[in-house]
Amino acid sequence: MNPEPFLLLDRVIHEKVRLAIMSLLAASPQLAFTEMRETLGMTDGNLTTHLRTLHEAGYISVTKAFQGGRPLTTYAMTPAGRKAFTSYIELLAQIVEQTKPK
Amino acid sequence: MGMDTNWAAENLQVIRTLMERSTLYRRALAPIMLVSGIIGTVASLVPRFVAIDTNRSFALFWLGVSIVTLLAGLLLVRRQALKAEEPFWSVPTRRVTQALLPAFLVGLLAGFFNVLNENSWHASLLAQLWVIVYGCALHAAGFFMPRGIRLFGWLFVLGGCALTFDTQSQPALRTPHAAHYVMGGFFGLLHLAYGIYLFFSEKRRPSA
Repeated sequence: MNPEPFLLLDRVIHEKVRLAIMSLLAASPQLAFTEMRETLGMTDGNLTTHLRTLHEAGYISVTKAFQGGRPLTTYAMTPAGRKAFTSYIELLAQIVEQTKPK
Repeated sequence: MGMDTNWAAENLQVIRTLMERSTLYRRALAPIMLVSGIIGTVASLVPRFVAIDTNRSFALFWLGVSIVTLLAGLLLVRRQALKAEEPFWSVPTRRVTQALLPAFLVGLLAGFFNVLNENSWHASLLAQLWVIVYGCALHAAGFFMPRGIRLFGWLFVLGGCALTFDTQSQPALRTPHAAHYVMGGFFGLLHLAYGIYLFFSEKRRPSA
């Protein structure tokens, strides 16, 4: 088996929580912090840490606004993030394909 | 390497599940159903005290009730969004609205037709049509909602169809009074029953 696809996997996305965040954002133009927290069942601190890592990698963008006098923080996937996510999925598919019985 | 393959396949499955979950409407439905049910039930009792016995007045009255119910529902959704610090006009909310719109438009136009043509269409026929198209609307919206909304939609569609057949053999069902009871039963009591069921079964999570 060719180990190359496995070695090429993006380590930023490869972490379980960050992969979950990227998956949610891939299907939605934008999501609020609370929406992600509820969907993933995570604590504020844990989610913030992973969001920061994705933001620093340039994979997600953050928008801070107000709605009805309350703060509203939303996240969206950047073009770079979408590209990295697509590549990640393609590599996963390659790994699965490689070891399928011929 | 077999383990790697399992892991990769599982990751792909997780990605798929999360992407699907991200697009589902998950705001609490119980309050919306309960308020709709109360408004519908109370509205169906109004004709006992006020004369709403022509086809035109029937259509006007129930169009008004539906607008009030819609506004109440929107206010509840907005309140939940504010409380949860989430956008009101979220992607799932937009999708559900888009799914509801065609059938709602048919219902609105049919209502206006009855307002403009007093004698050409029975109030009972309009009530049956409203029940059926509302069921279709719920069924369409159910594709973006995780709960039994599609089943609830089917209940309206089948109930409306059964009523249409029943009306042929029972002339008493063709009167505006019977039509008010049909509206109260479907849009009032059924919503109330579903709202009570959701109130006890729905997970208290206001995300959309």
